[in-house]
Amino acid sequence: MFSLTSYFSVEYLVVLLPLSVGLYAVLPQKLRRVSLLLSSYVFFWAVSGKLIAYLLFSTLSIHHIGLWLSSIQRDCDSLVAASPKEKRKEIKAQYLKKQRFVVAFAVMVHIGILLVLKYTPFFAGNLNTLFQVFRIPVTLAIPSFVLPIGISFYTMQAVAYIFDVYRRKIPADRNLLRLALFMGFFPQIMEGPICRYSETAEQLWEAPKLRYQNVTFGVQRILFGMMKKIIIADRLNLFIKNVFSGYESYDGFVIAVSAVCYTIQLYMDFSGTMDLVIGSGQIFGMKLPENFQRPFFSKTISEFWKRWHITLGAWFKDYIFYPLSMSKPLKKLTSRARKRLGNHFGPLLAGAIALFCVWLCNGLWHGSGWNYIFFGMYHFGLILAGSMVEPLVVWVTRKLHIERSSFPYRCFQIVRTGILVCIGELFFRAPGLRAGLSMFKRIFTDFSLASVQDQSIFTLGMDKHDCLIVLLMLIFIFIIGVLKERNIQIRERIAAKNVVVRFAVYYALILSIVIFGAYGSGYVPVDPIYAGF
Amino acid sequence: MIYAKRILAFFLFAVFLMAILLAASFVFMPKNNMSEFGMEEAQANGILGEKENTIDVLVLGDSESYSAITPMQIWKDAGYTAYVCGTSAQSLNYTSVLLHRAFEKQQPKVVILETNAIYRKISSNQAVGTELANYFSVFQYHNRWKSLGLHDFTGKAKFTWTDDYKGYRYRTKVDPARQKEYMKPTDKAADIPNLNIQYVREMKQFCDENGSRLVLVSTPSTVNWNFQRHNGIQKLANDIGCEYMDLNLMNDRIQIDWSKDTRDKGDHLNHFGAVKVSRFLSEYLKETGLLTDHREDPAYAKWNDSLKKYETAVEKA
Repeated sequence: MFSLTSYFSVEYLVVLLPLSVGLYAVLPQKLRRVSLLLSSYVFFWAVSGKLIAYLLFSTLSIHHIGLWLSSIQRDCDSLVAASPKEKRKEIKAQYLKKQRFVVAFAVMVHIGILLVLKYTPFFAGNLNTLFQVFRIPVTLAIPSFVLPIGISFYTMQAVAYIFDVYRRKIPADRNLLRLALFMGFFPQIMEGPICRYSETAEQLWEAPKLRYQNVTFGVQRILFGMMKKIIIADRLNLFIKNVFSGYESYDGFVIAVSAVCYTIQLYMDFSGTMDLVIGSGQIFGMKLPENFQRPFFSKTISEFWKRWHITLGAWFKDYIFYPLSMSKPLKKLTSRARKRLGNHFGPLLAGAIALFCVWLCNGLWHGSGWNYIFFGMYHFGLILAGSMVEPLVVWVTRKLHIERSSFPYRCFQIVRTGILVCIGELFFRAPGLRAGLSMFKRIFTDFSLASVQDQSIFTLGMDKHDCLIVLLMLIFIFIIGVLKERNIQIRERIAAKNVVVRFAVYYALILSIVIFGAYGSGYVPVDPIYAGF
Repeated sequence: MIYAKRILAFFLFAVFLMAILLAASFVFMPKNNMSEFGMEEAQANGILGEKENTIDVLVLGDSESYSAITPMQIWKDAGYTAYVCGTSAQSLNYTSVLLHRAFEKQQPKVVILETNAIYRKISSNQAVGTELANYFSVFQYHNRWKSLGLHDFTGKAKFTWTDDYKGYRYRTKVDPARQKEYMKPTDKAADIPNLNIQYVREMKQFCDENGSRLVLVSTPSTVNWNFQRHNGIQKLANDIGCEYMDLNLMNDRIQIDWSKDTRDKGDHLNHFGAVKVSRFLSEYLKETGLLTDHREDPAYAKWNDSLKKYETAVEKA
C-alpha cells in the first residue's frame, strides 16, 4: 500500500509530485484543476487513510455554512433596501444576530472537532489530577484519537473562510470543488501555510499552464528546502534527542547548546518544509503565502512573531486579537483605562487581555501540554513587557547617548531576541514543564565547560566534522538571508546567467545534499515537527 | 523549437549529473573492504575478499542468519565453504543487492535465505535508497567526506580482507527463553508484503539462471517465529517452486534447548545454538550431493587457518 509520512520522502518527491506535475502538464485547463484535487485527496489518503472523512466533512460543512450566511446577507440586504430608513438599523441588527448564530455554530463544530480530537486526553488527564488532589473518587478514562494530518491547519482555513464570508470580505463560494481544492491543496495541507480563501482559491481554480520558469524556480526552492532539512535539521537530531531525553546527565553548557541547536533545528525543519511546499506550489504556478521572513534578524520578540510562522500569527491577529480588542467591553475598558493610566498604558491594558487570549491559543495550538501553555505565556509576557518598558528604554538610551538605529545597537537587539527565543524553545522541546524548568535552572546552577575541555560534547551525536558542516551551512544561509534582507532577488539573478552557471548551481545544491546530508546508517531523520501540531 | 531545446538541456543535465555522481562514487567508495577504510557491514562484505569461485554456500538474511549459522562449523563437519552475508534488520532489497554482489566473484551452488527478512516491510525510501546506493555508492558512503584522503581520489578499490568467522557473529551469552511452545499449529498464514514476494521471486530466478539452488530456511526463534509465519513461507515456497526448511518444526533433530541456546530470551540463538543448527545444515548439505569436501584441498588452506583461530576463540570461552 502506498503510504506517506513526510514531504521529504521518496513517495512524495519521486512519485506523487512528479506524477501530479506530469498529469497536470498534459491535461486541458478544466481537467487540470480536477487533477490537482485528485492529487490532493490521494496525498491525504496516503497519509491519513480513512480519516480523509474529516477533511471532506469540513469542506462540505463550510460550503453549506458559507451559502447559508450568504442567503441571510441577501435577505438582509433586500429587506433593508425595501424598508424605511428608521427601520434599517433594527433589521440589520436582527440579521446580524442570525449571522452570528451561524458563525458561532460553524466555529463550534470545527473548533469542537479539533478540541475533542487533540485536547481531550490533556483535559481528561488534568481533571484526573484535580480529582486526586481533592480526593474525589472519580477517574476519567483517557481516550486517544488518531488525528487526520493537518487538522489544525485546514480547520483554521475553514474558520477563516466562514469569518471572511461573514465580514463580507469574500462572497460565499457556490463551487464545491473550488472550495475543496482551497481546503485540501496537497503541498500545504500537512504543515501549512495557513492560506486565506482570497489568497489561493482563485489561482488554484484557474490552474494555469506549466511554465518553464515556474518549474525551475520551484525545483530550486525545493532543493534549498531539502538542504536545510537534510543537512542541518537531521544532522542536529541525534544530539538534541540525546540531551533532551537525558538532560539530568549533562551540564548547563551542554543544555544551553542543545537549546540553541533545537531552535536552529526547528527553524531549518519548518522553513525547509515551507521552501519545499512553496516550491511545489510554484511548479504549478501557484503563489502560496510565505511563512518565514528571516526571523533571526528580528530586533524584538514582537517582530520575531511577525517573521516566524507568519500565517499563523496573521490568523490569530485577524480572528482573535482584533475581534477581541474591538469588542464593546474591551473598548469601554480602554477608554476608562486611558483616563486613569494615560495614553501609553491605557490602551495596553485592553490590548493585554486580547494578547493573553492570543498567546494562550498559540501555546495550545502547538500542543496539549503545560509546557506549550508556558511557551505561549512566556511570549505573551515578553511582548507585553516589551511594550510596557518601551518609553523607559527610549529614555535610558537617550540619556546614555546611544543611537538606537546604530549597527552595534541593532546587533545587540538581534542577539538579545535570539537568546530569548532559544529560552522559549527550550521549554517548547523539553519533555514537560517540570523538565523545562529543571533544564533552564541547570544552565545557571550547573554551568561548566568541562565537556568542551574533555571533548565529550562531540560524542553526544555530533562530532567535530558535523559541527563544522552545520556551521558552514548556517553561514551560507545567513548570507542568503542578508541578500534577501537587502531585497536582492537571487533566483532571478541566477536565471539571468548562462546555462553553465545555472547547471553548476543545481549540481552544487544536489551534491551538497547527497554528500553532506544526514541520511543513511547512523542518522535518524527528524519527524516533521509541525505536522504534529 | 524551444521545447526541443529544453528537452535537450534536461537530457544533458541528467547525463552530467550521472557522470558527477559516478565520479563522486569512485571517490567515496572505500578503497578496501575493512571497516577501518569506511566499509559498512564489513563482516558481510568480507566475502568480497574471498578467493574467486571458492564459496559453496551463500547465506543471506538478517541478524537471525549471522546468529544461527556458523560457517566454520560447517567447514569442520563437512568441508564445505559457506559465507554469511547477514546484516542487522536486513530488508530484502538489500538482500538482493548482496546476492548480486556475491555472485560477481563467486558461484555458490546453494543459497540459503533466512526467512525472517521476508516479513520485514520495505519502505519506498529504503527501496529507492538501496537501489541508488547500488549504482552510485556515494549515496551509501557519503559520510566518508569526514575521512577522505588523497588516495581516495587516485587509488582503485582493492578488496583483500575477509572475516575469519565468515560473517558469523560469535556470542556465548545465555539468556533463556520463557516461551517455549511457540509453534502452535494453525491453518492461518501470515501475510507477506507483495513487494517482498517479488524480491524472493527475482532471487529465485537469479539463482536458477546461475545454476544455484535457493533454499528458504527458518532458523529457530521463539520471538520471531510462529506457525502462521511458517504457513506463509510454505505457501510462498510452493508458489515459486523453492525448497523450504523450518528448523522450528525440526527440534527433534536439532535439539535446541531454550534454556541454554539463546542469548536474548529466544530472539536469537547464541553460539551453542548456532553449532547445533550448523551441524544440522552440514548434514543437509551432504545429503544434497551438490558439494565437494575441500578440507584436504591445498587451495583452501586458508580455511583451515581460519578454523584454528575460530576454535582457539571458542576454546577460550
